[in-house]
Amino acid sequence: MNAVDRPNDRLAMPLPATIAEAIALEMERDEAILCIGEDIGRAGGVFGATRGLQERFGKNRVMDAPIAEMGFAGMGVGLAQAGMRPLIEIMFVDFIGVCLEQMYNAAAKIPYMSGGRQRMPMVFKTAGGCIGSAAQHSQCLWGLFAHLPGFKVVAPCSPYDHKGLMAAALRSDDPVVFIEHKALLLRKGRDFRHHPDVPDEAYTLPIGKASTVREGSDVTLATLSATVEHALAAAEMVTEDGISVEVIDLRSVVPLDTSTVAESAGRTGRLLVVDEDYLSFGLSAELSMRVLEKLGFSALQQVERLAVPDVPIPAALTLERAVVPGPEMIADTLRKMAKGA
Amino acid sequence: MPEPATALARYRRMAAMRAFDEACLEALRRKAIHGELHVGLGQEAIGAGMAEALRPEDAVVSTHRNHFHALAKGVDRRALLAEICEREAGLCRGRGGHMHPFDPETNFSATGIVGASLPVALGYAHAFRMRGEDAVAVGVTGDGGSHTGGFHEAMVMAGAARLPMVVLVENNALAISVNFEDVSPTNTISERASAYAAKGLRVDGTDVDAVAEGFAEAMGHARAGKGPVILEATCHRFRGHFEGDPEGYRSREERQRLREEFDPIALYGARLADAGLAEPALQEAIEAEEKAAMKEILQEVLALPMPEASGALLYRFVEEAPA
Repeated sequence: MNAVDRPNDRLAMPLPATIAEAIALEMERDEAILCIGEDIGRAGGVFGATRGLQERFGKNRVMDAPIAEMGFAGMGVGLAQAGMRPLIEIMFVDFIGVCLEQMYNAAAKIPYMSGGRQRMPMVFKTAGGCIGSAAQHSQCLWGLFAHLPGFKVVAPCSPYDHKGLMAAALRSDDPVVFIEHKALLLRKGRDFRHHPDVPDEAYTLPIGKASTVREGSDVTLATLSATVEHALAAAEMVTEDGISVEVIDLRSVVPLDTSTVAESAGRTGRLLVVDEDYLSFGLSAELSMRVLEKLGFSALQQVERLAVPDVPIPAALTLERAVVPGPEMIADTLRKMAKGA
Repeated sequence: MPEPATALARYRRMAAMRAFDEACLEALRRKAIHGELHVGLGQEAIGAGMAEALRPEDAVVSTHRNHFHALAKGVDRRALLAEICEREAGLCRGRGGHMHPFDPETNFSATGIVGASLPVALGYAHAFRMRGEDAVAVGVTGDGGSHTGGFHEAMVMAGAARLPMVVLVENNALAISVNFEDVSPTNTISERASAYAAKGLRVDGTDVDAVAEGFAEAMGHARAGKGPVILEATCHRFRGHFEGDPEGYRSREERQRLREEFDPIALYGARLADAGLAEPALQEAIEAEEKAAMKEILQEVLALPMPEASGALLYRFVEEAPA
């Protein structure tokens, strides 16, 4: 499983280059796709996830937008209604406050409000997650988008999943919020613990299907995005304690693959949901409840959740580590759960 | 004065629009509409003035008060009324209602959020430009919407790229209760155009000829690739912001005065009579015909079935559409 041992020039490739490649392959096969966002053209994106696209496809299809998110998010809605397939980049997910109107009142609702007569093929690509940038540049917010009906919400972890799910998002006729994690965007393929290798050709993965990235028998750990990497590290750490952890990468919040998680939890008897988003009214409670509804309320010995405890992300590293689930915090929780048996 | 046939067609369009909204009011009285209703009575000259210069390939993105713009764009009035009356056979299968009609066939859509129409129109304009089409995107808003951030952002982007977009501002000088002059930094909205490298036009929105001429000029300018236009049409809202609005912000006498002085149909009727184009009897006949047609459509619509409760979750996502 050690990625470094696998000879593949993909392993030297930064994750953003893989994302840019996925977008380029889709833009080649479908002229209706265009990208609009801040710093995505000349600069190639602040993380490089659209690098080279403007040179290749021109300024009309890869358009640097002014700092006018309400304007260009709504522009995406109009483009989709006019038969195009826009990818709208909101640089950091924290910025959606200024354009949420066009996202949740227009993009997400129009397919329903039109009785299915108006499709909304668009992707909102954005970066979330913690890299030490404090309260206004560290949120995940997938729970917020999932709470608002009408979005599909994708947050991949591995390079392989990023490429396949970006292609699927661009081919979807529904609006997809595609949330990258900033910490992952700073990585190269070899830095990933699972699926760092990526085929050259275009491929899609189904949106709404979880992936079991480590098999285990004592605890089922469900999470997504960068926390999958932390979960795999934690699972490795607790092998010394004799605890066998099954790790499931949910990959999307909407649709939420309850079946895969329930099947696993039914087998292990214990479920831990780890979420880098806020705790209350979020993914961790929702998934736990859905699993219990599916299996019956007495089917599991233990259900625990670990998420950001309803506090803005602090600036100081000591405080950040205290509230954002990392490998040690996850490992501690796993040990407590095993002891509780 | 336009050609007699054009003048009569304009008169008939206004009469048809008024008859449409009167049918909506009747539907409300008959409890066929259970939510908010915003009618455009008093603003018929703007809708009617738009119709001639709009081509099928153009797009219109309208507001919460959208019925006349929809009719001007060619949306089927029976399907629209059925949607307003929440029927399964409505334009949007009863899921949208009167504030949210979407008709991909005529490139017509709307939003219930003030000012949110303009960024969407911007998207159509960019698509038309990209594809080398000579279609124009029309975003409709009001004086209230002209104060939103979306107005500014859409104009910045449309102006910078000289996109084929016409922003039609129906300035009825009331954002629900707030007077335009109390909140606007400028005396007019059209004068803001220069800040966006756009053309600014201002017309009397109670004069259908003035609107038709101004709208045609705006569409011609945008279609010719000369950039966006802000077309301000001043007008008066005869009824409340919504049906049931207690209108504590203006007196009954004031409302009465507006109806007497600024009724676009009466004003145009007088002009037609003066020019010898249509005697009052002919005008009355036109109005009676349009009213009768809408009465019949309303009867038919009210007989249509409501959506089945079992379908309440359909149409959120592509895979949920019935086979």
